Amino acid sequence: MFGRGRGGEAAGAAGRVVPLDPDRSLVTAAQVDPARFDALYRKYLAQVYSFAYHELGNHHEAEDVTERTFLLALDALPRFREQAPDEAGPEASTFRVWLLRIARNTIANQRRTLRRHPATRLDAVGEAAAPDDPERAVLARADASAAWAAVARLPGDRRRAVVLRFVEEMSTAEIAGVLGRSEGSVRVLLHRALRTVARDLGERGETP
Amino acid sequence: MTTPATLDSIEIEALVTDRYLDALLAAAERRPPDAPGDPAPDPALDPALRSAALRLRDELVRVHPSFRFEERLARRLAEAAAGMRLATAVGGEGTLLPFPGAALDTARPVPRRPLLFGGAVTSAALGLAGAAFVAWRRTRGAPTDPMARAIRLARAARAVRDGTATELH
Repeated sequence: MFGRGRGGEAAGAAGRVVPLDPDRSLVTAAQVDPARFDALYRKYLAQVYSFAYHELGNHHEAEDVTERTFLLALDALPRFREQAPDEAGPEASTFRVWLLRIARNTIANQRRTLRRHPATRLDAVGEAAAPDDPERAVLARADASAAWAAVARLPGDRRRAVVLRFVEEMSTAEIAGVLGRSEGSVRVLLHRALRTVARDLGERGETP
Repeated sequence: MTTPATLDSIEIEALVTDRYLDALLAAAERRPPDAPGDPAPDPALDPALRSAALRLRDELVRVHPSFRFEERLARRLAEAAAGMRLATAVGGEGTLLPFPGAALDTARPVPRRPLLFGGAVTSAALGLAGAAFVAWRRTRGAPTDPMARAIRLARAARAVRDGTATELH
């Protein structure tokens, strides 16, 4: 779906056509009646949860982050404004980008809390990995693939960029919005991440 | 050390990789389940990167939460949404609507404190005026208006006639 985005008159004047937010009608309905937020919740639950799980490597922590992300999003929804990329730069936002940006910040807060107050739940005793250590978490899983482990060994934003690209199937522009970086920088992040994964798999005797 | 030349070459390689990933992920959406779905790569793309991208596409999968968690969070969100609706209904997030024909300047600050002080001063002034009037009425002698005088005369005449008074004023 393409057209001139809201607030995109300047971009339109320059002849640029920017993609519309496919969730615009759902967002507008939820802004009028918060009970309609349920449709957005059902649509993006798996994406937010999956992103949190890949970052934290623990189902319980992923559930906590998912819950807080959606509660924050519902509370802040009246203030959400779709912004065209040309105008807003790193602040450009469709609903999905805005939501995953909230998730990213919530995950960062969760990590800080876990570092300050490490705690082990009784039902998580079997999980040897610390929730704030995705590499150990992934390696601890019996079904972890070599490719998965290679991704978990990547540094912060490279790992997030790979997860958003391959798992959430986001475009480079969307990832730039979530990570607060330029598109060019995200392309380089992804390129370097793939190179590292290829080398890692090669060194471990895996066919990349 | 990163020189401008190497930076440019990295950016160009990154663009080639990005285009391949776009095609790869788009093909994955369209392909039947068992088809390879690998688009023809740019010859400039490193074959090792291509293989790594294919493995990541196949092995990085979305993780779904449990149904129980999904429904519990849905209920929690519905409760929060109901609370927000209630807040809106009682005017927590209401807005001023202009009365037809009247200009509504919502940007102008509402003078809360002057209005409060003005009300207090007016109330005190009315109280003082009332007290002064009562005091004046008590110190004042008989009323001087014609009707009151006529009543007083009639009452005095009746007293004389009944023999209860000695003097007619």
